[in-house]
Amino acid sequence: MGVEINSNQIMANFNIDAKKEVTYDAIVIGSGISGGWAAKELCEKGLKTLVLERGRIVEHVVDYPTMNVDSWETELRGGLTPEQKEKHYKAIRSGWIGTDTEHFWADDKANPYTEEKPFLWLRGHQMGGKSLLWGKQTYRWSDLDFEANAKDGHGVDWPIRYKDIEPWYTYVEKFAGISGEALGLPQLPDSHFLPPMELNCVEKHVKSRIEEEFSGRNMIIGRVAHLTQPHNGRGQCQNRNRCSRGCPYGAYFSSNAVTLPPANATGNLTIRPFSIVQSLIYDEKKEKVTGVRIIDSETNEAIEYSAKIIFVNASTLSTTQILMNSKSNRFENGLGNDSGELGHNLMDHTYRVGAIGTVEGFEDKYYKGRRPNGIYIPRYVNIDEKSKSDKFLRGFGYQGGAYRGGNAANVEAFGADYKDSILKPGPWEMFITGFAECLPYHDNKISLNTDVLDKWGQPTLTIDAEFKENEKALNKQIQEDAVEMLTKAGVKDVLGFDNEHPPGYGVHEMGTARMGRDPKTSVLNGFNQVHAAKNVFVTDGACMTSSSCVNPSLTYMALTARAADYAVSELKKLNI
Amino acid sequence: MDRRKALQKTGLFAGATFLMPSMLSLFESCKSENRLDWKPLYFTDVEAKTIASLVDKILPRTDTPGALDVKSDIFIDTVIAKSYDKAGQEHMRADIAAFNENCSSKYGDVFYNLSDDDKTAVLNEAEKSSGKFGKGVWGAGVGPQEEIGFYRSMKSMAIWAYMTSEEIGKNVLNYDPVPGEYEPCKPLSEVGNKWSLG
Repeated sequence: MGVEINSNQIMANFNIDAKKEVTYDAIVIGSGISGGWAAKELCEKGLKTLVLERGRIVEHVVDYPTMNVDSWETELRGGLTPEQKEKHYKAIRSGWIGTDTEHFWADDKANPYTEEKPFLWLRGHQMGGKSLLWGKQTYRWSDLDFEANAKDGHGVDWPIRYKDIEPWYTYVEKFAGISGEALGLPQLPDSHFLPPMELNCVEKHVKSRIEEEFSGRNMIIGRVAHLTQPHNGRGQCQNRNRCSRGCPYGAYFSSNAVTLPPANATGNLTIRPFSIVQSLIYDEKKEKVTGVRIIDSETNEAIEYSAKIIFVNASTLSTTQILMNSKSNRFENGLGNDSGELGHNLMDHTYRVGAIGTVEGFEDKYYKGRRPNGIYIPRYVNIDEKSKSDKFLRGFGYQGGAYRGGNAANVEAFGADYKDSILKPGPWEMFITGFAECLPYHDNKISLNTDVLDKWGQPTLTIDAEFKENEKALNKQIQEDAVEMLTKAGVKDVLGFDNEHPPGYGVHEMGTARMGRDPKTSVLNGFNQVHAAKNVFVTDGACMTSSSCVNPSLTYMALTARAADYAVSELKKLNI
Repeated sequence: MDRRKALQKTGLFAGATFLMPSMLSLFESCKSENRLDWKPLYFTDVEAKTIASLVDKILPRTDTPGALDVKSDIFIDTVIAKSYDKAGQEHMRADIAAFNENCSSKYGDVFYNLSDDDKTAVLNEAEKSSGKFGKGVWGAGVGPQEEIGFYRSMKSMAIWAYMTSEEIGKNVLNYDPVPGEYEPCKPLSEVGNKWSLG
């Protein structure tokens, strides 16, 4: 069962002593999903690597204080104090912050940002970053995505195609462990899968009805970075659904459980916590970045570290913030910004638009376990001539699920019988909610704000982005289709919804330092290398040229492993 | 307070053989019904007794514990004291006062002093007039959301307090902190009550 915690998993004693040594082979800025992969790959290839983490060390298992805490063991049973609400006054809009995870969300007061238009910027300032908190939905992108810009002329063409990234998807999947079912869909290529999780009986019912009624549509169990069997010394998912507190079994992919321990095991890793990267140091003669300037967030000390290659993986907006703040004679408007595109083309997926209803006829059925996963409906519009829409470009997919829910407080009753009734499971409910692709718009942008400074006196970001007509048209279709699919599947009291969330709620922020073929219109080349500073690599969400409608994290992992491989080979050839 | 009558209605009071030690202690508390045996962090005496009486009426003791057995009233006081901001606290205070004023004008006294039948009448009325919660997806409301009045929100808090208490969460609901395998389609008869922990 893998219930016991494997003591080998607890990789204590990270080397955090960056005092003696200020020169490394490589520096990785950030330790989230992509930074963790960069650290692992570079360390395993023999590079002495310094990971700069702006927050504290979070050691797998040891630093998961709430992983086994039941509601009654905390005073407010998940509720936050007014002080905690104030600390997270922006992030709290997500609806996800409770006492169980509060310590993994960044301090909005110390790290302000300005919303020119409404934007939710969720940040995890600790070792592991948001890899501790992410949704674990894990899908490959396809050429439908990599060719999208070239085909309809929005944004610039991706410098890569599926064939370029395919071996790297395979590589990261085999190590990370992705569960799912192979379907052979061209628009959602199969990964190397561990056994899939299972649909419950209502989901199976709705799936069969939708697939009968709508040719070309599929409902599948979510493909997720949860282990459904022991894998590489990590335990399998125990269906507790307490993932965001940190998993004692290491059953889901996080930097803390998966990539940083093997990086550490090489002996090549130093991770320096409380290190806010202020800027990159550019050497005009060498035409390279020679190092980074940091501010120690605890002592306010300014320190410089140098390295041959730099991976910037601070998370989409923070990565670009660092590049923008790295000004020199050569780069007056930010490092690598010859094109003027740095900070532009910010994208996110639309969020919370779909339908929900109740399902009858399964009152005698239930489930056991809190499966940390739901259903997925792969994109089915604009995938070929037949499915072409004249209302919008690109497409959408759905997540969702069925469960016994209801709201007992709404039942018009009280007293003894009522009390007994609320101890029984409520009605079955089923929802599907869409994620639509956002086009890359030049005027969806971020900029440095020198009027609002953070706790350390550094410029902050102003975010100026919105969904436009195409995304609104996609959302309209998402809702209409969701209502139609659930209704035809026999779901009752179907309610369509669109929360009209601004960007950021999807937490799939992408772009602002895009990859491209032409240095005049992009920041990075096909290996995530800054066109004009070849020893700087950006492999987090900032690099994305378009947004697909598919969850992006697996693509960050694959791009990172690919870029690290290229970086080391270029280093060996003395090209950088 | 007419707790005795309430218990009779549930049939629990049918014979002395039903009297368990824990129930005897209930009578002890009934004797001191107008004196709180705990010190609220936020509520006044009147507010605390109002909330206690209300949650007891919504979730009374039967063969399973009631709201007061699991100290739901004390938890609600803690939440208001430690989780609400000042504006929220004042809003709650005004709501409880308005609730009692309504009881006084229609039935002649504050809620906890009313007869059980009058309390039933008050709640029947509140059930009809109080807004209902809309649907939710991933921690946020979706679709139309009505304004939730005092009664429905207090009922919701009572349920939250009750279901997340150790006694109910561990011993009445199905407590399984480490389920292991997911069983996607299990006869309800093999499970019985709801799973605890969501």
